[in-house]
Amino acid sequence: MHEGAIAESIVDILKRVKAESSIDKVTKVRLKIGIMSGVMVDALLFALEALRTEESIIKETEFEVIETQVKAKCNLCGKIYSYNDSTDIVMLCESCGMPLDIVEGKEMEIIDIEGD
Amino acid sequence: MKRVAVEKKILERNDESANRIRKILKDKGVFAINIMSSPGAGKTTVVERTIDSLKNKYRISYIDGDLDTDRDASRIRELGVDVVQINTSGACHLDADMVLKALEKVSLDCDLLIIENVGNLVCPATFDIGAHKNIVILSVPEGDDKVKKYPVMFNIADVVLLNKVDLLKFLNFDVGKVKKELKDVNPKAELIQISATKGYGMRMWYSFLERLILL
Repeated sequence: MHEGAIAESIVDILKRVKAESSIDKVTKVRLKIGIMSGVMVDALLFALEALRTEESIIKETEFEVIETQVKAKCNLCGKIYSYNDSTDIVMLCESCGMPLDIVEGKEMEIIDIEGD
Repeated sequence: MKRVAVEKKILERNDESANRIRKILKDKGVFAINIMSSPGAGKTTVVERTIDSLKNKYRISYIDGDLDTDRDASRIRELGVDVVQINTSGACHLDADMVLKALEKVSLDCDLLIIENVGNLVCPATFDIGAHKNIVILSVPEGDDKVKKYPVMFNIADVVLLNKVDLLKFLNFDVGKVKKELKDVNPKAELIQISATKGYGMRMWYSFLERLILL
């Protein structure tokens, strides 16, 4: 359950962002999590929920997670392959036979925050 | 209501520390590998045999991530190489800060630094620890369906060691399936079949590793 460590990192970043901004109360946080990031969204939300009692900054914060699918690119022909499920990925270009590079789907980011 | 753009990587701190590790290793001319697998796949046995075979040719240091005990570390210490133990006190993975701290203690007058991660096929895949190559061990008793079950881990592998192949004759394990799934998930990965206890395939692994050290 490394989502606990991820949740703690999110709270640390939120504290820094809050200190640098004029926001007193963080009401909403948007996260971008790729399906190849190794983070289970449900487990992450659970970990954030568990942190609420000890971290006042997220006491009443709503978390919205935007999941990104896998996009992999052939560097030879430029074709982009998309996968909705990480177990379906095929990292070879069907026309060139070249290994693909993952260009999307590994993200773990805080997009923005809302507050008063 | 105000909205503030953040656009920050959640693990930016970890990534910064991993970059610091890369810099330290580069300055010292050390080649580092991160060994990952589920518990019991044979990480420590592979490390033991590898160190025993290569220690006369290369200077080797070893960092061991373990939840609680120092059992792995003491097994390796007997081989006479420099060993630093990281107890993650329950954490299921090593992160770059833990490794950075261990680098202060371990001897970096070495050619090869072996970092043995916590036994787990999920969590260690998410944390960059600054090693040059990721070695993932899959063992035959775990079953032939693991590559697609843990695509994040197998996707980041540079080398996959299929261990305990001496047990193939007793178990219903399709090596072809592993090869096919690894080709889908990560066609760049090298698959080497070994039995660390019996010695099969280990020479192939050593020569592959030596090539990486010398590059």
